[in-house]
Amino acid sequence: MLISYNWLQRHVDLTGIDPEQLGLDLTLSTAEVEGIEPFAAHMAEVTVGFVKSREPHPDADKLGVCTVDIGGDEDLQIVCGAPNVAAGQKVAVATVGARLPGDFKIKKSKIRGVASVGMICSVRELDLGDEHDGIWVLPEDAQVGQPVSEALSGLTDWIIEIDNKSITHRPDLWGHRGIARELAAIYGRELKPLDLSLPQTASAAGVPVGIQDGACSRYIALAIDGVQNGSSPDWMRHLLLAVGQRPIDLLVDLSNFVMLDLGQPNHLFDRKSLDASGIQVRMGRAGEVMQTLDEEERKLGTSDLLICSGDKPVAIAGVMGGAGSKVGNDTSELLLEVAAFDAVTIRRTASRIGLRTDASTRFEKSLDPNMPLQAAGHLVRLLQELQPNIHLPSVPTDAGDWTDPAMTIELRGSRVRRLLGVDLDNDAIAKLLASIDFGVGLNGDNLSVRVPSNRATKDIAIEQDLIEEVGRLYRYDNIPERRLTGEIAPTPFDERQDLVRRMQDRLSGGAAFHEVLSYSFVADSLLAKLGAQAGPYVTLVNPVVDGEVSVRRSLIPGLLGLLEKNRRHHTDVRLFEIGKGYLPENSDERGLPGEVHELALVWTRPEPGKKARFDEALFPQMQAVLDDLCIQLGFGQPCWARPEDGQALDPWFHPGHCLQGHFVARGNPKDSRAPLTIGKLEPGLHKPLGLSQELAGEAILARVSLDGLLESAKPGFRYQAIPRFPGNKVDVALAMPSAVPAGSLVEAIEKAGKGLVKSAELFDHYTGPGIGEGRKSLAYHVLLQSDSKTLTDKDAAKFISRLERLAGELGGELRSE
Amino acid sequence: MEERLNQLRASAMERLAAATSPEDLRAVDRDFVGKQGSLSELLASVPSLDPKDRPIVGKGANLLKRDILAEIDKRKGELEAAEIDAQRSGSDFDGTLPAAAATRGSLHPLTLVRREVESIFVSMGYEVLDGPEVELDYYNFQALNIPADHPAREMQDTFYCDREGKLVMRTQTSPVQIRAMERLKPPFRVICPGRVFRNEEPDATHEHTFHQVEGLVVGEDITVGHLSGVLKGFLRQLFQKDIEVRLRPGYFPFVEPGFELDVRCPFCTEGCRTCKNTRWIEFCGCGIVHPKVLSAGGIDPESWTGFAFGFGLDRLVMLRYGIDDLRHFMGGDLRFLEQF
Ligand SMILES: [Zn+2]
Repeated sequence: MLISYNWLQRHVDLTGIDPEQLGLDLTLSTAEVEGIEPFAAHMAEVTVGFVKSREPHPDADKLGVCTVDIGGDEDLQIVCGAPNVAAGQKVAVATVGARLPGDFKIKKSKIRGVASVGMICSVRELDLGDEHDGIWVLPEDAQVGQPVSEALSGLTDWIIEIDNKSITHRPDLWGHRGIARELAAIYGRELKPLDLSLPQTASAAGVPVGIQDGACSRYIALAIDGVQNGSSPDWMRHLLLAVGQRPIDLLVDLSNFVMLDLGQPNHLFDRKSLDASGIQVRMGRAGEVMQTLDEEERKLGTSDLLICSGDKPVAIAGVMGGAGSKVGNDTSELLLEVAAFDAVTIRRTASRIGLRTDASTRFEKSLDPNMPLQAAGHLVRLLQELQPNIHLPSVPTDAGDWTDPAMTIELRGSRVRRLLGVDLDNDAIAKLLASIDFGVGLNGDNLSVRVPSNRATKDIAIEQDLIEEVGRLYRYDNIPERRLTGEIAPTPFDERQDLVRRMQDRLSGGAAFHEVLSYSFVADSLLAKLGAQAGPYVTLVNPVVDGEVSVRRSLIPGLLGLLEKNRRHHTDVRLFEIGKGYLPENSDERGLPGEVHELALVWTRPEPGKKARFDEALFPQMQAVLDDLCIQLGFGQPCWARPEDGQALDPWFHPGHCLQGHFVARGNPKDSRAPLTIGKLEPGLHKPLGLSQELAGEAILARVSLDGLLESAKPGFRYQAIPRFPGNKVDVALAMPSAVPAGSLVEAIEKAGKGLVKSAELFDHYTGPGIGEGRKSLAYHVLLQSDSKTLTDKDAAKFISRLERLAGELGGELRSE
Repeated sequence: MEERLNQLRASAMERLAAATSPEDLRAVDRDFVGKQGSLSELLASVPSLDPKDRPIVGKGANLLKRDILAEIDKRKGELEAAEIDAQRSGSDFDGTLPAAAATRGSLHPLTLVRREVESIFVSMGYEVLDGPEVELDYYNFQALNIPADHPAREMQDTFYCDREGKLVMRTQTSPVQIRAMERLKPPFRVICPGRVFRNEEPDATHEHTFHQVEGLVVGEDITVGHLSGVLKGFLRQLFQKDIEVRLRPGYFPFVEPGFELDVRCPFCTEGCRTCKNTRWIEFCGCGIVHPKVLSAGGIDPESWTGFAFGFGLDRLVMLRYGIDDLRHFMGGDLRFLEQF
């Protein structure tokens, strides 16, 4: 909202207070001032000139050649096309070098062969109105040679911009008088009295008003006759311009002026266009339409409050008037409407039809129902000053069942001191409240505070609201800082947070994964690609992007969506995210969906080359990352197993290349948990995800359920004695059928060692010539070691012969030592 | 024979002096002292010598042997020292060669700053809490003194998850205030960092998903003075310098009185782009907890008072690292992430 410094001066004397300081004080005590700017700064560069003569242009009938005195040594010759320019006028002259709105710089020129230095300006060229049918003729008393901004008092002004959000809760601040009241309190000055009483009317019966809905609690209708529309006076035009309101004509300007002055919207109808039966205030009907002032056809509905003349809608209450009854040049009989409308009704209508007006913005704030009568008085008095001949042919109609919201709240001085943390005595508290027109009665430690109606509609309702008033007027800056003291229980250890932090550190460290945060919403198109549309998902009713309605169940789709673009710049992409997914099928009794907390990892890079060793494959490397993570987190090595047949897997996991990591359940050794799943990317998804052609490669995904981990047992860790006896290293190579997994062979090696195998490290994995079709060769470094003796070659030989037998049972044989 | 010994001595010492490697020294050892060496030959010939010469030659040869071995040891030491000296040279050193496949991971910048914030508050006795991102309207609005039809609901551009308006994507971390009050017995101090959602078209300074840190302190005599003291203490730690703050009126339905807390711009003294030339940066909304909110959380507002605050984490991260586009945070682009 824009506020004019000059306008404020109508209500409070601001002598000696510069606009910057005023802005700062308002910010610290009342509402946030976003900026302060001079009004029409360009007017300082426009000079008052006197037109000495106007001769016709030799080559152009419509142009005149003017000799203009601007108080300098020489008169200026200016070619001017305005029909109304004449000798003897005072005019606004933009001299060479002046800059006008629209970044228009005045230069010397020749017009049809005649030199012209400067420009005689119209109101529109100076951005002071829309009139452009002629130049702006200044008042007689303007002093030649002065900048126009000084010659005309109303043009030196400051525009104060107030952040609307900071006054949503303050219906009283939506007009200049409300802001002035705050300033009067801040500076200890008087709020100038303002006569808001309605002048005497004739005694004829007023305009009939029927209110059929509670959304209108007060409706004042007043007939005004003998009006002559035209332009409003310069002072009013300039104030309106300063706050960004284009002057239109006297009646429109006056209505706007009253709204911006008191914060009370109002409406003027041309009474001749209204039905004699009077005004009906009712809710709209389905299918009803009306053309509003802006000449748009509006479809009305049953939730919209309408002002009707007879039965015909003539205004959308509190939002905008109708085109059919608007005032114009020849309007002489008015109907003034000033009303109290329900805030929610107005807000809904304005938002439904997408028409937020100055009026609706104010009504939404719950305005004081006392104000309509005051605003009516204000408007009539302002009009009467300008047009003393108007008359009020009938009594005002004041309909509606409104009640005065003013109330009394008991305020404990002790409570004020306790909450604010300052030593303010009750007298000081009373003084602060009285400065903003609150009535205060003192009664021991209690203050009985009368809240005026303009603050009582919703802003102030309880004791703590009054404490806020005291605090802000005392000014929060003056409250001394304090330290918290007192006993606080030690912060409990949070295992989940610890888990998250250690996972992040481990993964971003040695494993070289990058942490990402991805959106909680997943695009339908991505879910369709993944074959995961079924969900079910928590869905947004009002998404910001069409087709992004599903709240993620798992973090993996989000990460998968990031692979293609990252693979374009990186050959090796490792991403992880820790976050939450939501499962509507697990909603609790209050409707809150089930929450899953998980770690998701994806790793992709090009296929390894032909010469790559078997252990460069991505799957075992990702598995090693998870093993390391689990061991580091204290859960030990997970027990990896293929999913059971028929077990439902997320569609992004390769059904054949997938493992689940199991742990024993915490507190129940017979139960187990499988918080880990690792798998290759489902082969059918590479292409849809853009991982084909030059971006083709291996892609491994993993999901770790934090909830599952937290339900898993931590085996605890004890150190093992450093071996006292030397070990015996034995290398074995075994030719095995392809179907025998390496893990089975390790089991055989361990069995053959009868407890002596300390480690078995696969160092070669070979298929090809010399091994035979359907067979592979696996070679291990085996370390045999005993805790009680030094092993001999005999022990090794026994191990080998047992292994030979066990390999045979698996369909393989020992190749060599 | 003595002459022969002298010749051998001269020849051995000359070769030792000229030796440049351990091999040279081993060759001297072999040629003179070894089984087939000249001295061994000489000693082997002793029995065939004149008996009176035998002791002289024998003694002389042993003496020479001892001297040569001593000299070999000495030269060996010298050569090793020279070798180490030579290794000390940096002339063949290139300190700019890369390691094989230099890879490292990274933590998200929001994680980095969030950890800083958490550790400062934890050091001041705060517990870190978490709450659901899909939240009941009750916690996100009603219990926070934002009933249905309250204009604040529209200001927040809520994502609704059902037509009845019972379930929302939380628009703020404030619902955790109520959850904390339900769970904890006062006095307590908590913070809750987390993601929040607003239905806004994303651009460089707006996101529909962003991050807040909520704080709540409930105690017996909590005042406005404590609120500014705590936040100032926090900011002093965060920016590692004494930082001026100011409290001014601000409106949030769940606090009363409510404030905006501004921080003196840490990046300038005369005004800059970051502070839009105002020298102040809006840092957080805060206030004394509204009695209705305490009641909704099951806490008696007559016995207990509290303050609450909430600030944007994204903004803080942008300030910390000079990031100019909010969309990087959720964009998942490694070229951004790997810098941290
Ligand atoms: Zn700055």
